[in-house]
Amino acid sequence: MIKKNKNTEAESARSLKNRIGDMLYELSLKFTRKNKKRESEKTFKKSQAIFLIGILCLPVLNWLVFWLYVNISSFVLAFQNTRGEWSFVNFTLFWDQLTSPYGDTIGTAILNTLKYFATNIFVIFPLSIIISYFIYKRIIGYRAFRIIFFFPAIISGVALTTVYSNMISPTGPLGFILKSLGVNVPQEGYLMNPDTATRAILVYSVWTGFCSNVILIGGAMSRVPVEVLESAKLEGCPTFKELIFLILPLIWSSLSTLLVFLLTGLLNASGPILLFHPDGGYNVTTLSFWIFKQVYGGGQLGGTGNYGLVSCTGLIFTLVSMPVILTIRWLFEKIPSVEY
Amino acid sequence: MKKLRRRNVSEEAAVLYKRTAPEKVLYGFVFVIFLIYALSLILPFVWLFINSLQDKTVYEINLVLNKPFAFPKKLDWSNYAYAFQKLTYNDTNIFGMFFNSIWYTLVRIFGGVLASAFTGYALAKYNFKGRNVMFAVIVFSMTVPIVGTTGATFKLVNDTLHIYNTPFYPILKYFSGIGMNFLVMYGFFKNVSWSYAEAAFIDGASHSKVFFRVMLPQATSAVITLGILTGITAWNEYMDVLLYLPNFPTIASGLYGVSRTLPREGYSTAYFAALVISLIPVLITFCCFSDVIMKNFAVGGLKG
Repeated sequence: MIKKNKNTEAESARSLKNRIGDMLYELSLKFTRKNKKRESEKTFKKSQAIFLIGILCLPVLNWLVFWLYVNISSFVLAFQNTRGEWSFVNFTLFWDQLTSPYGDTIGTAILNTLKYFATNIFVIFPLSIIISYFIYKRIIGYRAFRIIFFFPAIISGVALTTVYSNMISPTGPLGFILKSLGVNVPQEGYLMNPDTATRAILVYSVWTGFCSNVILIGGAMSRVPVEVLESAKLEGCPTFKELIFLILPLIWSSLSTLLVFLLTGLLNASGPILLFHPDGGYNVTTLSFWIFKQVYGGGQLGGTGNYGLVSCTGLIFTLVSMPVILTIRWLFEKIPSVEY
Repeated sequence: MKKLRRRNVSEEAAVLYKRTAPEKVLYGFVFVIFLIYALSLILPFVWLFINSLQDKTVYEINLVLNKPFAFPKKLDWSNYAYAFQKLTYNDTNIFGMFFNSIWYTLVRIFGGVLASAFTGYALAKYNFKGRNVMFAVIVFSMTVPIVGTTGATFKLVNDTLHIYNTPFYPILKYFSGIGMNFLVMYGFFKNVSWSYAEAAFIDGASHSKVFFRVMLPQATSAVITLGILTGITAWNEYMDVLLYLPNFPTIASGLYGVSRTLPREGYSTAYFAALVISLIPVLITFCCFSDVIMKNFAVGGLKG
């Protein structure tokens, strides 16, 4: 009996020992598994970091050099004279150019730039929306129209300006038709008359200005759910009500992006002045062309070759326009965009 | 399934085609305006082509006699021969211009699309430290109206980097991950499901393998669209080439260069022929890919 008890005690002690051993073994297994998991997570994160650095280093470097450095350098240049000494001479020169009544001044350039901007925002953009709408609503021949209206985006500006100049010249086909209809076409042509040259280039900008807007706005419209249109149709919603109160709010996200880009280009708004009048004559100068003229070949087109003056002009106009545009952008973001 | 899809498409089309009687009148009126505008875009190029086959003396005489619609009595292909054999700008003939256009365009496509695919993918799919700052910086750079940096850029290219008038200029300048291309790629990757990538990670794929083998192939349509549009823009670019690569005239900058001299020398028709030649590659590309461009180009919002 005593012997039996001794045996069971020994057995239970052995099983206890085994159990403890198993527990310890399991614990160590868990620990190593956890460690392995942690290590694999670490390696995953490490490889992710290496990958991200790998793909982002070049674009970031590009931004640092061609955006950040250029902007800082432009700011510094505005306060330096041509010998690299600190000076406010560029501001004096800027003021002279702005107020001078002679030649292609900054004053003329800014006035023309605003004309191009107004044409973009009040003529080209609304017309692009209307054109996109009718193409979206499958007007007869919409496929062909969509492709043809995109032509100005694929054809070089050199070819477009050449045909336009030839078309509207007094000896060209359109000039001939206008003269036959009794329209008073200037003898030297619309592009060669200081009073009509800018207007003629503005017409050119409208003529060639719809292409990419139509594609982008049309793309946004094509994602509008047709069920919405169907229910509007059932309630007898007319065409323009459908466009203004239904479709435009639904594509606001894309529209606001395009508008922000348009606003950002406020002071870069221009026609292809270089192609029509490389010397900027006939009162057609715009701000971006004036800047190009100053820099090109050190003033080869009649510019000053003074980079400091260019930077100073840019700095002043950036400071004037930035708050306006950032406020408008902020206001745009306040308008809720519809998720569908 | 196919039938169902077809039915859905026809139902969708039916909604877009439904018109009331007054709407039919309005659509008829708009159609006429569209037709006039479409013709205004096509006919000038028909005129250009016809006059590129006109004898140069006859063309000048027609100008004086006020006969803008005169057709050539005999097709004069010598204008094309002149464009191919004698037309030069900065000692570069038309073949050299084509060569410059091709490498300049390829560099811009490769740099612009790849860099924006990199930034778009990283910002759309990874939540790393500084991601939001980076997105904000990109949007800020795109939406702040900065003007007048051309002088500083010229100084940087010419005096600091010494890449003025070298092929390194477009290589370095256009490897840019911001701009419209970034928005398109970012919007695209944002909408691609991450589960494909997760499955690939479980199978032991690396991050670069997932990007190049799983995610980028899904973005083929967006990449092709951006590639074509970047390519067309680069092919037609003249100001950038004139300013920074004067000794490498492309077809656009070269034709700009001769646009003043040739007509003055009485070679307007040869200039027209050169313009027609320059349009052929772009038109062929567009004809092949117009459907891809029309379907895939979409831009979302600026919010991250």
